[in-house]
Amino acid sequence: MRKRRPSAKLRRAGLRSGERKGTLTPNRTEKPSERPLTVARGQRRLPRSKRRPSLRAGLAVVGGRTAGALSRRLHLGGGTSIVGLVAQRVYPDIVGHLATQLEHGSVIVTGTNGKTTTSGFIAAVLSDAGLRVWRNREGSNLMGGIASSLVIRAQPNGNLRREGRAISILEVDEAVMPQILQTVPARVVVFTNLFRDQLDRYGEVDSVAALWQQALGTLSTDTILVLNADDPTTAHLGEAFGGRVLYFGIDDPALDLKAQHDEGERHQVIDTRICPKCGGEYSYDLRFFSHMGHYHCAHCGNQRPQPDVRAVKVQSDDFDRTRMQVSSSLMAGTSKQQQEIVIPLPGIYNVYNALAAATVAQAIEIGWEPIVTGIEQFKPIFGRGERIHIEGRTLRLLLAKNPTGFNEVLRTLFNEGTHRHVLFVLNDNIADGRDISWIWDVDFEQAVNHTSTLVVAGSRALDLALRLKYAGVAQDKMITVTTAPLRAIKPDTSLAARKKRRAKNRNVKMLEEADQQPPLTEISHHYGIAEALDSAVRQTPVGETLFAVPTYTGLLEIQRELERRGLTPHYWEGRDN
Amino acid sequence: MNDSVTRQLALTLGHLYPDQLNLYGDRGNIIVLRRRCQQRGIELRVVSLGLGDALAPDEYDMLFIGGGQDREQAPVAQDLHDTKGIGLWAAIEDDMPVLAVCGGYQLLAHYYRPASGPDMRGLGVFDAWTIHKGPRVARCIGDIAINWNGSTLVGFENHGGRTYLGTAQPLGKVLKGYGNNAEDATEGAIYRNAYGTYMHGSLLPKNPHFADHLIGLALRRKYGKNDWDNSHINETGEWTDGASSSESLEIKDDDPSVVLTPLDDRLEWEAHASLLEHMGLQDAAIAALSNDNGLKVS
Repeated sequence: MRKRRPSAKLRRAGLRSGERKGTLTPNRTEKPSERPLTVARGQRRLPRSKRRPSLRAGLAVVGGRTAGALSRRLHLGGGTSIVGLVAQRVYPDIVGHLATQLEHGSVIVTGTNGKTTTSGFIAAVLSDAGLRVWRNREGSNLMGGIASSLVIRAQPNGNLRREGRAISILEVDEAVMPQILQTVPARVVVFTNLFRDQLDRYGEVDSVAALWQQALGTLSTDTILVLNADDPTTAHLGEAFGGRVLYFGIDDPALDLKAQHDEGERHQVIDTRICPKCGGEYSYDLRFFSHMGHYHCAHCGNQRPQPDVRAVKVQSDDFDRTRMQVSSSLMAGTSKQQQEIVIPLPGIYNVYNALAAATVAQAIEIGWEPIVTGIEQFKPIFGRGERIHIEGRTLRLLLAKNPTGFNEVLRTLFNEGTHRHVLFVLNDNIADGRDISWIWDVDFEQAVNHTSTLVVAGSRALDLALRLKYAGVAQDKMITVTTAPLRAIKPDTSLAARKKRRAKNRNVKMLEEADQQPPLTEISHHYGIAEALDSAVRQTPVGETLFAVPTYTGLLEIQRELERRGLTPHYWEGRDN
Repeated sequence: MNDSVTRQLALTLGHLYPDQLNLYGDRGNIIVLRRRCQQRGIELRVVSLGLGDALAPDEYDMLFIGGGQDREQAPVAQDLHDTKGIGLWAAIEDDMPVLAVCGGYQLLAHYYRPASGPDMRGLGVFDAWTIHKGPRVARCIGDIAINWNGSTLVGFENHGGRTYLGTAQPLGKVLKGYGNNAEDATEGAIYRNAYGTYMHGSLLPKNPHFADHLIGLALRRKYGKNDWDNSHINETGEWTDGASSSESLEIKDDDPSVVLTPLDDRLEWEAHASLLEHMGLQDAAIAALSNDNGLKVS
């Protein structure tokens, strides 16, 4: 039974959020097209017979959209991915059929971390460049969601509405990447990075890398690959590819971990350490985090490729204002090879996300100006650092879903020795990964003595509290809010009482000390996310900031709770601070 | 306690292949062993034993080996066989406590037979072998609880290979989950004081009694069993010889962890019980909470 409940909950939460946000991003440049709709442009492959596929496509569109409407009407769910699933059932090639009609083609973004923010940056930049940007909804990054994103925009005649100046940006789950690449003719494919994430779902990091490598084998050489030079696995994908490959990376030695931490290198989760060519171990001249940095293999000479777009200097002006100097060899012939870009988000990981977006833009020949404005005016996506006002406090949400992501969030929070009010939410639903062992790879030690107040919540709150205990956080410094009471604890036989009894029976002297311990106050007698949020907010003085760091479904729960309290998207999408 | 001798207790843990075999949370086991020793004033030194490092059995009191990715496991198997095999065998025959999790467990059995390709040879410490039945047979993934030594152990398992025991004794009986092979309800293997298991999660944080069991074994092995009968570790980790007070602890042969100072393990046991409850093992959850604080019910 336990298996079913969380996923149903998740589904509800996810769909609600989707409806609210709109499936396709309405963009600033949304204007009626002046172009006639009849000609399908950019079509790279011809349908077997011109008439039948478009009839089938029309049927598929109608079928899918009817199913979606029906499912919404019957409250079976938001009816978003069903649109694509039904349409694909009717016409398996519907996605390819529609995608080829986009005037500017499709940009596909994948990787472990930063997919959503990178696609967000790209969307903002391309919109500012005057393109009409279509996106799949965040979280709907499997085949069904991607199909829906196109089918919803199609007409009953099987053609896209207003495909002129249109470009689609598809955020794709790393495991379904090969499938998508086979269906969607991609103009640009971005690989942000590869870290361990949900081993129970994806398998090992190496198997994801092998999957990608295989998928690229079938990719058209017209496609441009945009790769992270600083991530060995991602960069290596460019080696065997016959088409154009562009790399982005960081060239600022001041960001080296050793330069950052005088007290020695922090624990880092390193998922790639072996050269895929020869099996030798990589050495690093600079390491920014995990296995990201300037690496080379001493054995065979394999090394980090020289990036085309590189951040030569990165400075943090504020918690969420990072200023970087970007140098681009793609702009070599122009007056401005170097450009300052301000990123309105914290952390090195967002520097990479912004660099990826800048590289994509330059790959499709977009100049600096929209890159600068698109990134600087970017509004954080829910859960990626935006501000929400709640009872006089500011709440900031920082999604952390895997060890490297979590480490980087912690580093961003505690880097300058600042004290923070923190709420951690650890869930083990399917979308989070059922295995929570990875919390032992996260360097929670850096939070010790740096939390002003700390609340630990979620379906695995006790596990996280235990992790923090072993990191050295005093137990009276944190409140643990679980999702439900432990039935095994009976009120009349409290632990303390039983311990006392047993201590007497066993005549063990050292337990006398334990008897004087206060009762187990750190475990709250309230349960659930609403309580957790309340107690974290209450502990945060008015005017100060509470940082909530949830896993994926924890984020959805918080979102739902905020919505329930009337903190609508209007509030959190506005940059009111 | 007039004529008692006190000395500082210290243990050395050899962590095998920390760079290669570090998949998901194995570090948690080390963190827990270190802290549980530290809280009792026992110094725990952790020494990393990487590829090419020799294993001198005299230098260690306890060994840990985790699991890794397939690609990283092959050079490890080679090194284990060529460089550390004899030392590891000697240590294990000399009753050194060893914890081997997942890939490490497989490497200590006879062989690992992948779905395709040649067998990977193991050390054969456990009379057991592992077969991967190909990509069409589902991996064993999920929460797991087993019966161990009259109590429960909880964790998470994620393995493609199925392990079959020959004469090796299992670590415990599966209450919920897959265990060695999802067929015979066994989980893990024991040989002398070497423990192989598929359970991570990490294993030791939520199973403090098992952590203490390992520490107890190491202490007993290093400082001698007989000495324990009339001795006592105080809170600062000083170990007093020849105490003949009425408070001296009685040592049961099968439970070396009894001599350790009990710690406040309420959070550990609540996390343990909570996972048992999630798995629908209500009775076991109640039993776990009545076993709290690392004390065994006599």
